[in-house]
Amino acid sequence: MTTLSPPHTAARRPPSIFWRRFRRSAPGKVGAAIVAAFVLLALLAPVLVPYDPTTDRDYRLNLKPPSVAALWNPEVAETYRDPVTGEVNLWKAPLGTDNLGRSVATRVLHGAQLSLKVGVVSTVLALLVGTLLGILSGYFGGLLDTMTGYLSDVMLAFPSILLAIGFASIFSSDNPPFLVAALDRLFALNSPQLVTAMLAVSLVQVPVYLRLARSVVLSVREREFVQAAGALGASQGRMVFRHVLPNSLSPLIVQGALSIATATIEVAALGFLGIGAQPPLPEWGTMISDSRQYYVDAPWTMVFPGLAIFLTVLGFNLLGDGLRDVLDPRSTQ
Amino acid sequence: MGSYVIRRLLRTLLVMLGISVVVFAFVRAIPGDPATALLGERATPEAAAALREQLGLNKPWFINFGNPTNPLDAQYPRYVGQLLRGDLGSGLKSNIPVREELASRFPATAELSVAALLFALVVGLPAGIVAALRRNSFWDNAATTVSLVGVSMPVFWLGLLLSYFFAVQLGWLPPSARLGNEYSIEPITGFYVLDALLRGQPAAAWDAVRHLILPAVALGSIPLAIIARITRSSLLEVLGQDYVRTARAKGLAPRHVTIKHALRNALLPVVTVVGLQAGALLGGAVLTETIFSWPGLGSWVYEAISQRDYPVIQGGVIFAALVVSVVNLLVDLSYAALDPRIQYR
Repeated sequence: MTTLSPPHTAARRPPSIFWRRFRRSAPGKVGAAIVAAFVLLALLAPVLVPYDPTTDRDYRLNLKPPSVAALWNPEVAETYRDPVTGEVNLWKAPLGTDNLGRSVATRVLHGAQLSLKVGVVSTVLALLVGTLLGILSGYFGGLLDTMTGYLSDVMLAFPSILLAIGFASIFSSDNPPFLVAALDRLFALNSPQLVTAMLAVSLVQVPVYLRLARSVVLSVREREFVQAAGALGASQGRMVFRHVLPNSLSPLIVQGALSIATATIEVAALGFLGIGAQPPLPEWGTMISDSRQYYVDAPWTMVFPGLAIFLTVLGFNLLGDGLRDVLDPRSTQ
Repeated sequence: MGSYVIRRLLRTLLVMLGISVVVFAFVRAIPGDPATALLGERATPEAAAALREQLGLNKPWFINFGNPTNPLDAQYPRYVGQLLRGDLGSGLKSNIPVREELASRFPATAELSVAALLFALVVGLPAGIVAALRRNSFWDNAATTVSLVGVSMPVFWLGLLLSYFFAVQLGWLPPSARLGNEYSIEPITGFYVLDALLRGQPAAAWDAVRHLILPAVALGSIPLAIIARITRSSLLEVLGQDYVRTARAKGLAPRHVTIKHALRNALLPVVTVVGLQAGALLGGAVLTETIFSWPGLGSWVYEAISQRDYPVIQGGVIFAALVVSVVNLLVDLSYAALDPRIQYR
């Protein structure tokens, strides 16, 4: 049987300005590579190492050093030697085990999924809500503008982690409100506390987007093409969403990449304080919190989850810098 | 200028009022009943009701509709009245007046924050300046990398790493607390280093400094990164301006042009950023103080939240927000002194 390949009707388009500029931005490329690696690991984690945090226990192997150290350390090799076959399993726990004998590597790998989900969802929520409010108050001004301006003043006066702690401690986890339960199901996080922490971090970011979107809209609103659209009889809604919004997106996208980084750190910080994800969920901040009693003798329980947070955040920060190079070349910050 | 200051002050007051409402509402919304928390699970309902009556927790939140002669006989108006009198209530657990504990804990956080900011400035400013003057050199790349690493590093992880290497492994510095047990300092300012020097106890002062180093470095890492970054970009922008070229063309010494002409103008955004760090430092203090058992505001409020200690949460958070608002106000007002081009209307 023969199959017909689709005919090449159009010649291949040259790469767009975006890609040409992005390829020249070193931080952007490195950041994109790191982020892509983490997304890939997060997606492949369930396939590579199936994992159930609730049943994973191995008390014979608790707080043991990384098994790859068996290559040069005979003591470690003894720990990981199979009593029956006498072989040393280098990949048993490449990054060591924690107090319950769980492989730190496996848990860090599965934490990637949680962390990426939570970081992206909280940022997207904040971006949507903040941008919408910011655009409306920037475009229409008046009472709405005064109100949102005042509210964001009030919110920005709090140290953000305190506001997030306050918000996260409101909801009881036994009986989560509908929104929390729904988001929990939607993103398959299986942890109402983590969803609450996610919403808290999201809420704290809303004023940032509100102000940014408002300031951009104020400058775009006065541009000729918007006034021309108005003169041609475009409706308010069309003006806002067809003309003003698409031309205000660049700084918001840049801020979005940067605030996934912030959100990742803040959710981990809440987990570290015991307010976000609860054990045994392999969330990176919670893992570091668990390790606090043991890290003096077993530093790998603290080092590797933190390294994972650091690399993810670094990746999104670099990606944000790269996007800024591309989308907003005048800005030097 | 005068009317601007008044308007700016009014806005700060309004924001403070909003903060008090938000904190009040948050605290009341936290699940769990302080009466049960105080008396324990096995308290009789009568005793719990009596305690609620005593604490005023049985009154409505904002307006008492049941009492037409005094509709303000409710929790929030009562609370604001107390706030204005400077009465923040007492901790439910400790029974120590919140104001007293605030007075002893805030200096600890302030000392830590000042030390962190000093560290950030001493390292961040020169790094940013060198990076801008030697653009695209090794030093520029090094400074950019350090600042990128600084903003990407979770404060609590950095704190644990520092404590593991410098306190546990090397034993150079103490891992927790503000002062060794062998010393005691009679407080004057509440800043231990300063107090010890004022009291003529150099050994205690050195000990206090040693305790301060690790938490200050952990807390200062993010401000350091931000200061270095802003200094670099701001100085680069100023160095490209016409008046700098003119000054160079007139034959002024390069060092003179850099310091007198460029740096002064370039530092203006840096001042803004330093001011904005006040909130970040207080927030970061929650994490840093928890790791290093630092007896400050952050660890106190964090414990209070887990114990549902309403007056402490309210007092601590409102005080933190007040500090942030006042610092922001001062930063706004300081522009006029720093930059004569800015006119307030």
